[in-house]
Amino acid sequence: MAGGTVTLNDLTKRFGSQCAVDGICAEITGGEFFSLLGPSGCGKTTTLRMLAGFEEPTSGAIVLDGADVTHLPPNKRRVNTVFQHYALFPFLDVRANVAFGLRYQHCSKKEVSQRVGEALDLVELGPYHGRRPAQLSGGQQQRVALARALVLRPSVLLLDEPLGALDARMRRTLQVELKALQERVGITFIYVTHDQSEALTMSDRIAVMNRGRIVQVGRPRAVYDEPADAYVADFLGVSNLMDAVVRTPGSAARPCAVMAGDFELEARGGVVDATGLVRLAIRPERVTLHGYRESVANAIPGLVERTVFLGSATQVMVHLAAGVTIQALVANGSEAASWPAGTPVQACLPPAALRVLPCDPAANPVEQAAAVPAGAVRPAP
Amino acid sequence: MTGGSLAPSAATRVALPGISRLGRIRRLRRPSILRGFVWLYLVWSLAPVALAILFSFNSGSSVTEWQGFSLRWYVGDPYYSVLHDPALHQAVIQTVRLAVLTTVVAVPIGVLFAIGVHRWRSRQASAWTFVMLLAFVMPELIFGVGIFLLLTNLLTFIRLGTTAQFLALVAWNISWPAIIVRARLQSIGAHYEEAARDLGASATGAIRRVLLPLLFPAIFASVVLVFAGVIDDFVIVDLLSSNAQSEPMSVIIYTLGAHGGSAAAPALNALATVMLVMSIVTVAAGWAVYRRLTRGERRRDEGLSLGPLTGA
Repeated sequence: MAGGTVTLNDLTKRFGSQCAVDGICAEITGGEFFSLLGPSGCGKTTTLRMLAGFEEPTSGAIVLDGADVTHLPPNKRRVNTVFQHYALFPFLDVRANVAFGLRYQHCSKKEVSQRVGEALDLVELGPYHGRRPAQLSGGQQQRVALARALVLRPSVLLLDEPLGALDARMRRTLQVELKALQERVGITFIYVTHDQSEALTMSDRIAVMNRGRIVQVGRPRAVYDEPADAYVADFLGVSNLMDAVVRTPGSAARPCAVMAGDFELEARGGVVDATGLVRLAIRPERVTLHGYRESVANAIPGLVERTVFLGSATQVMVHLAAGVTIQALVANGSEAASWPAGTPVQACLPPAALRVLPCDPAANPVEQAAAVPAGAVRPAP
Repeated sequence: MTGGSLAPSAATRVALPGISRLGRIRRLRRPSILRGFVWLYLVWSLAPVALAILFSFNSGSSVTEWQGFSLRWYVGDPYYSVLHDPALHQAVIQTVRLAVLTTVVAVPIGVLFAIGVHRWRSRQASAWTFVMLLAFVMPELIFGVGIFLLLTNLLTFIRLGTTAQFLALVAWNISWPAIIVRARLQSIGAHYEEAARDLGASATGAIRRVLLPLLFPAIFASVVLVFAGVIDDFVIVDLLSSNAQSEPMSVIIYTLGAHGGSAAAPALNALATVMLVMSIVTVAAGWAVYRRLTRGERRRDEGLSLGPLTGA
């Protein structure tokens, strides 16, 4: 299963005056699990449909293993799709559904039956081959859809939110299985989702999309820990964002000194050599809380506003003296988890975890809508 | 025993107000006068039909006095039975011929029309859909007279008779499959076809292997409705018939029944019974098969079922 390299070259799709996909470029290497992550309407599904051949790009090119496939019909591409609602043929049983595409690969009867058997074994549905799709659970239908696409040995498998219709428990199980399956078959997976935890769990690389553009591409860890801008920081998990002013720009060796309200902080992450107005971002799990009397570096004093038990951890909302509220995630048994509302604390924002992001309100519709006053820190939803 | 008898009485006492309230509602909803009216209506409308059927099995030639059961008017009588009277015999054949021909031609055209209009999606397409719907609201008599005038004045090379009847019936019946199939196309959506294309099928292959099987219940429903509709049709076939050879059952029953003629009255009753049974059997068989075809869909409501025949 060599190959599976996909190049998107300035791909654009307009519907009338609306620009759904706005000139995206990407290099996807063979055998990679590549996720397109973004909110609904960001153009990720349109991108996938152009890859599958259901939509014709307005401009730009799609290159698959060195061949331009931009204008080929869906049946002429070595690309198969697992649809969001599976689209299993209701009048065929599981075996016939999986065998559907093999007719076009001119296989012998024996080979068809062998490959269908292998594909069903791969998704552990062997005993169900005689059932109709309506007699299967959502998770089983999803596996049939997967087998139906994989049996054709495509160069690239496209998955359009395939876990979207399943319950949370089933989704977690299938996430792990899907990733294991992808490693076993070694096919390039291009996975569309709006669920950041899904993308983080499975992907080799994630492309975060917003308004028809790719905002950042990188490994899950990199995208999560080093978001390129406030939008990515906000979309991938919970981020505390706050406005600040750079006092002394930093460099590779020296942290950047910023003023958040009346408090001076050091930050080592992000664009440390920025000047002027910036945004600071920090993950709730990186914020540490200390008693009011302790002497802590890089901290802002505040009051505990609310404590929320989340199950695996406790979330503490702290209203900082800078006039804003941030979240901290603390261990359930820790001292901080037991502080009642109104307790004075110090919220430490370690320089290594504090990131300086360019301040570009136009790039962030969420921020515009929230209309946070300057100098305010806003806990992301 | 005491415990056993106490428990239900306590339950009854608790539930009493609810029961009496329900009872009052029931009485209000189904007053006996309405029930009586329904029965009266059923007797009034069905009694003549029942009598006609009954006397078609009469051994005598009376349609008022029962003289014993026989199949005389169906097969027995050498001159007047449906089997042996050439006019009646011919009428059955003509009805079946028109029904089969019309169904075979009108349904495929209607299905293709529905698929075409469904993909076309333009102002012209909606205009054509409107024309299709027009057939439902236009009185059949107007349509029949229009075709009659067209054929007798302009297209005179088409003679009145079977050809004219067939052409008019096809035009009149295309709207059934067109509208039923269109409705089902809308509930099917595009994703099954996209899946087929994705798996390697060409555009026509996707229609043949995926769309047609999905449309089959709707196509089948159309076949039943068109077939039964042609059996029952009177206005068009009467206007466009030329001689006794092209008169189907409905026309024979009307002319001989209303104006008298050579055929015996019980034989006409027998012919009417044949016509009725054909219609009922077609619709009943169609309903049963449709239920069977869409069984899986109704059990797990996948948003695919369309109930022109299920009545649900």
